[in-house]
Parts: sequence; C-alpha cells; structure tokens
Amino acid sequence: MTLTYDWWLLAPVLVPGVGALLVLVVDAIAPRLGRVHWALTAGLLLVGAATVIPGLLPSADNPRRTLCLSDGSCLYAVDHVGAGLQFTALVSAAVIVLLALPIRVPTERAPVQAALLLTATAGASGVVAARDLTSWLVTLELATVPTVALVALRARRSATDGALSLLTTSLVSFAITAMGAALWFAATGTVQLGGDAVLAASHDADSRRILALAVVFIVAGVGFKLSLVPFHAWTPEAFGGASVPIGGFLAVTSKVAALGALLVIFRGVSVLGTSALAAIGVLAAISMTVGNVMALREQQALRFLAWSTISQAGWVVLPLAAVSSHAVRAAAGYLVVYALATLVAFAVVTALAHSDGRNHATRLASYGGLLRRRPLLGVTLALALLALMGLPPAVVGLVAKVLALGPVAGGRLWPLAIVAAVNAMLGVAVYLRWLRILFGAPTDPGTHDRLHPVHLAVVAIGLAALVVTSIAPQLLLGLVGR
Amino acid sequence: MVAALLAAPLAPIVAGLALVAGDRVPRAVSRHTAYAVSLAATLISLLAAALIAYDRPSLNRPWVPEVGMRLHLAVDGISVPLLLMTAAVGVLVVIHARHEQPGGGTPGTFFGCLLLVIGGGIATFLVQDAISFFLAFEVVLVPMWVLINRFGDPKDASERARAAATFVLYTVLGSTLMLVGILTMVFASGTADLATLARHPLPAGQQTVVAAILLIGLAIKVPIWPLHSWLPRAHTIAPTAGSMLLAAVLLKMGTYGIVRLVIAPLPAGVERLAPYVATCAVIGIVWGGLVCLVERSLKRLIAWSSVAHMGFVVLGLMSGTAIGLQAALFANIAHGVVSALLFAVVGGLKHRWGGDDLSVARRALRDVSPRLSLALVIGLAASLGLPGLAGFWGEVLAIFGAWNPGGDRSTGWFRLLAAVAAVGAVLAAAYALRVLRIVWMGDADGGRPLPPSPESDARGGELVVVTVLGAATVVLGVLPIILLNTTSGAVDHLMAVVGR
Repeated sequence: MTLTYDWWLLAPVLVPGVGALLVLVVDAIAPRLGRVHWALTAGLLLVGAATVIPGLLPSADNPRRTLCLSDGSCLYAVDHVGAGLQFTALVSAAVIVLLALPIRVPTERAPVQAALLLTATAGASGVVAARDLTSWLVTLELATVPTVALVALRARRSATDGALSLLTTSLVSFAITAMGAALWFAATGTVQLGGDAVLAASHDADSRRILALAVVFIVAGVGFKLSLVPFHAWTPEAFGGASVPIGGFLAVTSKVAALGALLVIFRGVSVLGTSALAAIGVLAAISMTVGNVMALREQQALRFLAWSTISQAGWVVLPLAAVSSHAVRAAAGYLVVYALATLVAFAVVTALAHSDGRNHATRLASYGGLLRRRPLLGVTLALALLALMGLPPAVVGLVAKVLALGPVAGGRLWPLAIVAAVNAMLGVAVYLRWLRILFGAPTDPGTHDRLHPVHLAVVAIGLAALVVTSIAPQLLLGLVGR
Repeated sequence: MVAALLAAPLAPIVAGLALVAGDRVPRAVSRHTAYAVSLAATLISLLAAALIAYDRPSLNRPWVPEVGMRLHLAVDGISVPLLLMTAAVGVLVVIHARHEQPGGGTPGTFFGCLLLVIGGGIATFLVQDAISFFLAFEVVLVPMWVLINRFGDPKDASERARAAATFVLYTVLGSTLMLVGILTMVFASGTADLATLARHPLPAGQQTVVAAILLIGLAIKVPIWPLHSWLPRAHTIAPTAGSMLLAAVLLKMGTYGIVRLVIAPLPAGVERLAPYVATCAVIGIVWGGLVCLVERSLKRLIAWSSVAHMGFVVLGLMSGTAIGLQAALFANIAHGVVSALLFAVVGGLKHRWGGDDLSVARRALRDVSPRLSLALVIGLAASLGLPGLAGFWGEVLAIFGAWNPGGDRSTGWFRLLAAVAAVGAVLAAAYALRVLRIVWMGDADGGRPLPPSPESDARGGELVVVTVLGAATVVLGVLPIILLNTTSGAVDHLMAVVGR
C-alpha cells in the first residue's frame, strides 16, 4: 500500500505539532527561558497560519487532498471552509499566546504550557481535514486532552476544579464519540467518513438506522467539546478556573476544532436527510436558550463569557439543522465572526486582569465606567459585545446572524426560526447588561498599572479588525469560501 | 448625484460615530462643537435628500455577496416623502437638542446618538435590498437605547433602564422575526432585491405564513395593538429630541417596511391576513383613544395617540385599494410632522413644569406662553383630524379606502371596521379637547393672574422648530395634493403589480 504526501498541505498540522517538540527540545538545551518560549510559539503558529494562505485563495482547488491511498480515497482533505477553519484556529491560538506572553508564570512551566497549546492547536488544525474515523478521533482528542492540563496548570483550587470537570466530561465524551465511531463502522463497513459508503449504507433500512444512531452519538460527543446544552456543565467551571487567555483558548480555538469535527461528519451524513439533523436543531435551540438565560444572572465576567459561549455555540450549529448547501458555510462563517468577537473580548479581559488584578477584572461590576477610565479597552469591549449580539455598529455580527438564520428560514423550519428570534432578543438583553455597566458609574480598582504593550497592541489590532470587518464583512466571511 | 445618495445617510452616520467615538479622546467634545457638527451633517443630509428627490439617481454595487447584500440605493414616489421628512425632522431635532440638552451624559454622545438615529432612518428609506433594509432598521437601535437609557427622564434611573430595555428587546424581537421572513423570501427567489421580489412573488400557498411572520415583526415596530406596549413607556422616558425621532422616524420605518416587504411581494398573503391585521389596527385606534381620555401624563398621552394614529395608517394599508394606500402614505407623513410638533411642545412643557402630570393645577398656557400654546392648539387640532390641517386627509381617506376594500376582502367586515375607526376619530376629538381644556385654558383657581413671562415662552431654536413644524402641518392640510401627487405614480405602479 502506498500513500502520497503533500507536505505543504500537511504543514498547518505539522508545524504546530513539530513545534511542540521543538519547544521542549529548546527547553532541554537551554532551560528557564520563560517568555522566549511563548514568543517562539507565537511565531510557529503564525508560520503555520501562513502555510494555510494558499488554500484560502479563490483559485485554490476545492478540495485539496493528500495522504491518498492507491484506491483513490484520501485520508486528508482541505476545502475552502476547512482552510478557513484551520487559519482561524492557528491565528486565534497565536493571539492567545500573545495574550499569555506578559503574564508571569514559573519559568519551568512556560515550555510545558506552550507545548500543550501547540499540540492542541495541531489537533484542531488536523481534525478539520481528517477524512477517516481513526485520524478524526485521534486529532479530536489531541485537540481536547491538552486543554485539561492547560486549565490545571494555573494551580489554584478553582483551576483544578475546572480541569477536573473538563477531564471528566472529555472522558465521557470520548467514550460516547468512540461508541458513535464504532456504530458508524458497523453501519458502513469502512473507516472512510465521506462519500459512497455512507450513501450505500443509507439505502439499506437497517444500516441506515444504525448510521442515524451513530450520528446521534457523535453529535452528543462533539456537543461536549462545543459545550452544547446538555453537555455544557464543564464550561463555566473551566472558564472561571483557568487563566484568562486559556479561557479564550477554550472559547475560540477549541470551538473551531469542535465545529471542524462536526462539519466533517455533517458533510457525510447530509444524505440521511432531516431526521438525523433534527438532533442538531434541538441542541441548538436548547443551548441558545439556556446559555442566554444563565448569562442574564451571571456576575462573574469569565463565567458570563462561558455562558455566552454556550449560547453562541447554539447559533453556530443552528444552520446545520437544515439540509442546505449553504449550511456548512453558514456555520463556519458564524463561527469565524464569533471567534473574532470572543477573542477581542478575552483580550480586553486579559489586559484588564493583567493591569488591575484578576480579582477585579473577573467581576462584571468592576467594568463600570470603563469607557471613561480606559477608553480604548471600553470601546473595544463594547464593539465586541455588539458584534456578539449582532447589532450595528458592529455590522459583522449582524451579517453573521443573517448568515446563520438563512438556511433555517430557507428550509422553513418555523419553530426553530422563532426560537432563534426569541434568542436574538435574549442575547441582546444579556450583552446589554455588560454594555450598560460600561456606560455606568466608574469603579476604582485600587491599582492602576499601565497596560502591557503587547496587550495594548493586541487590543488595538482587535479593535481595528472589528471596525474593518464591520465596513467590509466579506473580508472575514471570505475566509470560509465564497 | 450618486454622491448625494451616499452623503444623505453617511453624513449623519459618520459624524455621529465620530462624535461618540471622539467624545473621550483626549477630552469631551464641547457642546458647541457637537451642535455645529450635527447641524452641518444634518443640513448636508437634507440637501442631499433634496437633490435625490429632484434627480432620482440610483447606485447599485455588490457589498457582502455571502448574504446577498448589495449597496443598492435609490428612491421612488413612496420613499421620497419619507426621505425628505426624515432629513428635515433631523435638522429640526438637532436645533431643538441645542435648546434642550438633557443631563446624564456628554453633549458629544447625545448629539452623536441623535445623528446615528437620523442616519439610520434615512438609510432605511434609501436601500433597495431586503437584507440591507434589515441592517438599516437595526442601526437605530443602540443609539436610541443610549438616548433613552442615559438621557431620559432624570428622575427615575430604574424606570429609564426598564423603558430602554423594553424598547430594544421588543424591537429586536420584531426585527429578527422580520429577518426570518425576509430570508425565507430571499431563499425562495434567490435575490434580495426589493423590486425583483415584488415582481416574482412566492407561490400563493406559501405567502400566508411568510406574511404573518413579517407582519408580526413589523407590527412591533409600527406598533399595532396588541404589540404596542413598549411605545408609551419609551416615549414617556425619552428626552424630547428622542421622542420626536421615535415618533417621526422610527414608527414610519415599520409602515414603510409593510409596504415594501409585505404588500408588494406577498399580495395573496396580505389578502388572507388583512381582516385580522385591520381589526387589530382598529382596536388600537379605539384603545389608544380611550386611554387618552383618562391618561394623566401628558407625554404618555401623546404617545398613546400615536398608537391610534398609526392604526389609521395600517387600516389604509390593509384595505388593498390605491386610495387606502395613498391615505396610509399621507397619514404616515402627517403623523410624522404632527407628532414631532406635539412632542416638541409637550417635551418643552415637561421641561418647564418639571413633570407632565395633567392633574396638577397650572396657569393657562395661553397666558404664560402664547407661542407654545398656539403650537399646541395646531398640533392637537391636526391630531383630532380638523379639516385644513395635516391629520385630516390621511384619516378620512383611510376610512374611505376601507369602506370599499379591494381584492376578495369582506366588504361587510371592512365597513364595520371603517365605522369603528370613525368612532375612534371622535375619541381623538374628545381627548384633544380634554388636553386643550386642561393645558390651554388652565385651571382658573390655579393662582393669581400674572403677566405673561417671555422667558417661559418658546424662543430661539425651539421657536424655529415649532414654527416650521406648525407651518408644515398647515401646508399639508391646505395643499394635500403636493404629497398625493408625489406618491400617486408609485402607488399606481404598486397596485398594478399587486393586482396581477
């Protein structure tokens, strides 16, 4: 048996993967370099992101494949949407690393964290392109397991609690996903995810039933990673316990991995029709509602962002409930916008936590008068929140909402559309709470350290990105194909 | 000329964003600068609107192909009056805001938010594709929320927050439902262009559901009974300038949306739903009139009268006749002018009195502030539908249109509705006279007679605002033909498309 290799195509996975080893080797040769590891990591991730760029061009083949077997089937394929998701995962991880860079950690811990983060990113980048069950399962776990350690490495009681809850749920979700994978194999008789095997299986009544069950199991398993209700319980714990940038990693890069994984499966099963996808619709509706309702009462900024992630995850998978050629692009497009807005919000929280102290920055009430106290942070956070609620002046968020609702309205799924409309309203109520605090009376944090220049730069770039994409949303949405 | 199309919405929006964003860096914008910038932006916008109305240019470029949004700006007879009114009211609102700038925030933010609302309104009446229409619809939300929440009635912070949140949440629910309806149409016909949507309607069987979703969504904005409850609350709390914009611009976006998104592309759906919607509208007319008879807060009373007046607009729209549609478009403009006038006067009175409770005995307004009292008389007379003033034509013609409804609508039911609406017009006379008796004539026992005090009367900017709006009320009443001629071509065209 022969395999073909296209190293360029594999680079988005290989660069962070090999990079993880590189960081550890550097540490072994020259220990206690501290921040150098973070800088190296950011560089590696950006290089990885740069290798994706050829796949983003409209002229790129769609999809591009490699690791092809002699019978013509390929184990690795990247289409436009996949390339966009890989790019998002790598760039978001690089931003997270930049945010983590100024934070003081024990120097022996930095290389471990950096290596873990690189590994998780390699997994995220790989799962998007995996086209067979085994590598799909392995890369999905590769994207998940290191995050447990990343959360735990803050070494506080709350961090260990969060890590424990993340560990337990990820083990359960692995078991469920593996069960789903086994059923899938039973139904189709192949580890290939796409194409003819699924089509053949869907013609036979028995194997069709098993396949539908497999899809339900897999959706449930991936639901844990996406933190869809009822598989969400770990999210507020982990976000609240982890260091702020790692929370951002869980909220953005991990979500890219999870959606990428779901899309790989979704492409294969759309032949099954609406019955298998109804599960996604139900999960989307419940997640939005529960996430929004819980966020309405939340007083902690990080847990607020966790609940917001849960409700936004509902919006991300919402279009997948409809059988539509636009569904995959709509979900990916929404995810990219969500990733930008959430990353910017986390950047602001990180910057504030670094300068005013974590205890101050994690309380929603301490954001009072931020617009007056720190105009740059205030305006950036306000714009990010507006993007998350989908209202102008953050036009990009509004366009994302249009994109996500499109397949649902086009498929005439009225109950789901109405639940989504009600949740658009609830979401506005949720984020307006924070926005109102920003406008409100100032609170004094006690300490007034200057913002770290790296944080300042990331926040400023985030603001610029939100402004530019609000004027020309197609720049961002173009990432996931035209 | 294409530049005018861009300048009309963008001048206020860009200036507004600049004022809001530049407010803190490095220090707050002075009141004078904020006013000068705002006045310049709205005047540019008004000039551009006049050029657009005269020349009727068109701009059509792709914008966000992923969701089918195009930068397609143009006008026709239906949107020209609304465009001009919005631009003109924008200038007046800015002039009025200089006269009465509420506390609660900096002038930069206040004027900036006003400009954003004005720009969003202008954009709504210019865009020609359904998704951009939704976008323009949403532009006004956050600035209006800031206006109510930060600059509203300073007495009660929690009531301010509640009114602002009610306004935003209701409106977002409505506009998202509208978006669902829009996307259904867009997916079915493959285009978001409003004119194309109107030419290629959905199959008749599918129209009812889509029309129902769109009508519920837009009914919140208009508002139509029973989805109106955000309006009195928002109006009562909002600063005067915000109330003027809310009544003159925001409500019109709802009725304009019904014309563009429902009546034109979904004629069969409208025909099925018209009796129900018209019934709700007429209930709103009577309901609003009855509340006005007993309401003690003057500003809330005017807000309730808006519910009643918008009921006439919707009744006209639902009649399915050219005359009804003309009436609705006329009543739309008339209500915009009259309610802006009334809110300017009433807001000024609330400011002077330190409250707007009608049960407090006060001296006769005609003695204290003769100019303001004249403006109040004109506004209320127009509001009760006195012939010769703006309010008359729209309401009479709406009842006339409903008397002989078009299509397969039940004539009997619509005649009943027309009769009840006429009773509602009588109620309007009753509450208008009630307000005049209490405010204009005053409470004779309220105190010893004093000479009129010039400083308490309308002066400067406020005088300009009420004079222009009062004059517009009279001109529209005496020469309705100017407006009716502008809209008639587009209405005939629309009826020809709908009546296919």
